[in-house]
Amino acid sequence: MNPNRVYAIILRFLFNFRHNLDQVFDAFYWPVIDLLLLGLTTSYFAKQSTNPSAILLTILSGIVFWILVWRAQHELTTGILEELWSRNLLNIFGSPLTFAEWLMAIITLSLIKAIISFSFTVCVAFILYQTNLFIYGFYFLPLGLLLLMFGWAVGTLISGVIFRYGTRIQTLAWAGVMLLSPFSAIYYPLSILPPWAQKVALLIPTSYIFEQVRGLINNQSLDWQKLGIAFGLNLVYLILSVIFLYRSYQQTLKNGLLSVY
Amino acid sequence: MAILKVDHLTKTFGRFTAVDHISFELQEGEILGYLGPNGAGKTTTIQMLLGVLTPTSGEVSYFGKPLAKNRQEVMEQINFSSTYNDLPHRLTVQEIMLYTSYLYEIANRSERIQKIREVFHLHKLWHKQIKELSAGQTTRVGLAKALINYPKVLLLDEPTASLDPDVATYIRQFLLTQQEKFQVSILITSHNMAEIEELCDRVIFLNKGKIIADDTPINLAKTIQISHVTLMITDGMKRTQEICNNQKLSFKVEGRYITINLPEKQIPDFLKNILEKGIEYSEISIDKPTLEDYFLQIAEKK
Repeated sequence: MNPNRVYAIILRFLFNFRHNLDQVFDAFYWPVIDLLLLGLTTSYFAKQSTNPSAILLTILSGIVFWILVWRAQHELTTGILEELWSRNLLNIFGSPLTFAEWLMAIITLSLIKAIISFSFTVCVAFILYQTNLFIYGFYFLPLGLLLLMFGWAVGTLISGVIFRYGTRIQTLAWAGVMLLSPFSAIYYPLSILPPWAQKVALLIPTSYIFEQVRGLINNQSLDWQKLGIAFGLNLVYLILSVIFLYRSYQQTLKNGLLSVY
Repeated sequence: MAILKVDHLTKTFGRFTAVDHISFELQEGEILGYLGPNGAGKTTTIQMLLGVLTPTSGEVSYFGKPLAKNRQEVMEQINFSSTYNDLPHRLTVQEIMLYTSYLYEIANRSERIQKIREVFHLHKLWHKQIKELSAGQTTRVGLAKALINYPKVLLLDEPTASLDPDVATYIRQFLLTQQEKFQVSILITSHNMAEIEELCDRVIFLNKGKIIADDTPINLAKTIQISHVTLMITDGMKRTQEICNNQKLSFKVEGRYITINLPEKQIPDFLKNILEKGIEYSEISIDKPTLEDYFLQIAEKK
């Protein structure tokens, strides 16, 4: 793993970010819109409950924690899409860059952008609703890491699909992880889901994590066993998705990189 | 010394064979023209030489080392430019040079980028995004990118297509300088046969994925027997055309000029014949066969 080459790809995307208003919107605009719409709606309904601050905190926590999953997945998939749109694959893979270095660069970049978007949204939430989302303290680290892992696993899987089928299925870059959000129980307890959906949710790591987030809001301690299950599932999904992406890349090399444009 | 060795390289896509057991070598400091009609397999070969297309069989070696097993080491020493490939359109020229310099781990980064900027006259384009450039300017930036890592081998796919004639001439001179000064080995594809004749020490002709000729441009042109005789007819254009038709010679008429394609040995008899028929002409030029004629012959056979 050569750090200069990893840095080269990070630099290439940071330059791109600077010139691309769409990406700036993705990073800052939509999280704020979510905060405003969901936050204000929740504020209104929460006033009729006995514990309005806990309800607001649950929804706002869901919004900001989900940003980690969304950004991790979205950055990975738009990374490959950006190369396809720019017809730049030959330039990067016709250089000394290895596949592992490229993947490492994209993952690092998604981590940086996820942290920026997350921090920005947490600050906006504090300004708008005087809600302190830093209450999670040290627990943020394992929860955040597990959410990022799941985003990377889904992002890697979708990148593999895009490598195989090109831009004609690019909508997956936006729809991707959102398909799994209902099973993740971001804003509501798992028990709300129908029985069949609860069984599906058992296979989705984020469902365990958001249950723990709500548990912390209700002054419960973290269930490390549940987080262990989430970590195990994440690890399996991440390994499988990286294998799938690598095989898709090899398939593309067999068919010709130009064939995916 | 062979810098690049291609050994029985083959690429099939389903039942279609794009490149069929080709073998050749590129020597140190040699400029090799890699020619053929559209669909002959040129770009497919270049992609395999770059390691971005897996061969069905055969092997590519650089500096005596197989590309498949020594990809990183080899790729640090080669580079490419292709008209079939774009550059990130949102990035400025400066940004492209900067990130590419990290990609190839250029030691004296600032100096090298500065030098490339001067050599390719990129000053005015430096802070422009690729999407703001013309096709010719983008090609120039692509070539600049290809030379950033002091490559020992350059793979150029139609490098001067879309360039203005003066810029194309400058680029050709630049490539020749690179060859002379730094012994850079260059494999080049082009549809501009004059350019190939000017640049290349040797030419490989590809047709339907197979190498059908491997020789110097002059020797290849010599295999064509047909010369082109152009006459400015002052009296008897119709009779000249009748003679050509009778002798089954192909010709082209442009105003008072007629260009007749005929074997070099038949030229004296042909001229004598038209004089005997009372045809008068005031200008004559005889063009020997060129690489272009060789190319056209192959394209016709295709």
